[in-house]
Amino acid sequence: MSVVDATLVAGYTVGDFLLLAAAGFTVLAIGMLYRAVKGPTMQDRVLAVNVLGTNTVVILAILSAALSEPTFLDIALVYALLNFLMAIAISKFTVERGGVL
Amino acid sequence: MTGAVPLVTGSVGSVGSVAPVSPVVAQVTAIEASLLAFVVFTALATAFARDVLAAVIVFGAYSLGMAALYTFYRAPDVALTEAAISAGVTTVLLLLTLAKTTRIDHETAFESVNLPAAGAAGFLFAGLLLTMGDIPAIGSPDAPVWSNPDVTQWYLTETYAQTHVENTVMAVLAAFRGFDTFGEAVVVFAGGIAALIVLHREVFA
Amino acid sequence: MSDAVDDTDMTDTATNSGADAPTDAESDLPPHRAAARSGRLDSENRQGTPYTESQVIMPTVKVIAPFAFTFGLFITFHGSGSPGGGFQGGAIMAAVVFMIAFAFGIESTRDWLANTVVVALAVGGALAFAGIGLVPVALGGAFLQYDLLPIPILNPVKYGMEGVEVIGIAPIVAGVLMGLFFLLANGFSSDGGGFGNGSLDEDGSIDEGEPVDDDGSPEAGAADAGGDR
Repeated sequence: MSVVDATLVAGYTVGDFLLLAAAGFTVLAIGMLYRAVKGPTMQDRVLAVNVLGTNTVVILAILSAALSEPTFLDIALVYALLNFLMAIAISKFTVERGGVL
Repeated sequence: MTGAVPLVTGSVGSVGSVAPVSPVVAQVTAIEASLLAFVVFTALATAFARDVLAAVIVFGAYSLGMAALYTFYRAPDVALTEAAISAGVTTVLLLLTLAKTTRIDHETAFESVNLPAAGAAGFLFAGLLLTMGDIPAIGSPDAPVWSNPDVTQWYLTETYAQTHVENTVMAVLAAFRGFDTFGEAVVVFAGGIAALIVLHREVFA
Repeated sequence: MSDAVDDTDMTDTATNSGADAPTDAESDLPPHRAAARSGRLDSENRQGTPYTESQVIMPTVKVIAPFAFTFGLFITFHGSGSPGGGFQGGAIMAAVVFMIAFAFGIESTRDWLANTVVVALAVGGALAFAGIGLVPVALGGAFLQYDLLPIPILNPVKYGMEGVEVIGIAPIVAGVLMGLFFLLANGFSSDGGGFGNGSLDEDGSIDEGEPVDDDGSPEAGAADAGGDR
């Protein structure tokens, strides 16, 4: 019926490939996790958490498409808006050691 | 707009219908496995990080994985709560608390493991794992949700007729168990009061 | 190495904020807000080094904050038709306030978002929820029996639930979260505030002697506590 349910190759639907892509992005997020944990400086961690957040927005959007549930995009939107908050909170914390906090 | 009724009713059914058809969806799909690995890694890193700020940041990443996992399991309300609370609120409050305390500069990145404590925790964890066998698989028709349709299906089918609300989760929260939700709201309110008392303040702002 | 620099900044903050407290207390501000009145505008005094607000963060927040707040309202109001509800929407709206506070300084945010607003949100939400629940009781029904609500034309069950979510839960969550934010930004009360100030606080060393004694520097006690680890 919808594009997501169309069979692409060998019984795999488009939705399956989207889920696979989401899994690939999650593996990339695990790689980025190394920088967030290890990161010698706080700037590394800020960037890592920012990339992780953006990655999650992409994963959520792909999941929304793969499961053909448009309302799931709300969650991706919330993350897109609030990940920015997380990034500026950590970066402001890093800049002045909580002087502005 | 499709609304949330197909979103709820179609959730478990679509898992069951997709699983036998598609070869990718095995017992544990790739997306499930990678998300679970991400969540486990972040949880372990949060527990073992020596630096508190790093632990807070990695805990934020943990919530990202949990929200994606909830989304995959078709629990958008829970995922939205996880997103709003942990990305927007918990990290900020923990950072503010860190700003009011001192952070020790650590040489090592990870905590050293206390073996007796790890043994006790592992023992408890193994005990909890023993109960895993009794938990039905996700989307399993043997789950109590499906094996007891007189109760659970009633909410999915009767919610709109009784409340004219499409989101069954909200209908259950605000109407069918509204008194419980009232208690929860009062608990949140009491939490704010308790924070005032703990921090010896009279006013919030 | 950056942490070492951070720690020196920390001590500067502690001592200077303590020094600022008496001067602020002499201004026209109420005494209970005195210790925390060392915010963005005089952050140069506190830090010793001049600090300008970020030219990246402020305009970005100016752009993003209205959209995020609107989205919080959407999550709250549209909770009956899509995922969401009062709890999530209230948390998002509180997060927008956090965002503004980070960009423009917590103290200047505290200036326009008075304690009255925060408390009115939390208390008003709780009272509205209880009120919606008690109206059917007054009409001879059960608690939260929505179909007895005197709502004309519209469906009383649906709009009773919407009322609970929109004017009950969302303000409670938003108010309490904003309150927690400002509370934690203030830190532990050190200026003799706390419950029952005034006469009780003058001779309050009977039961509250320990927290009141470390006056001036809220970070001092916290630093000691942190050093134990």
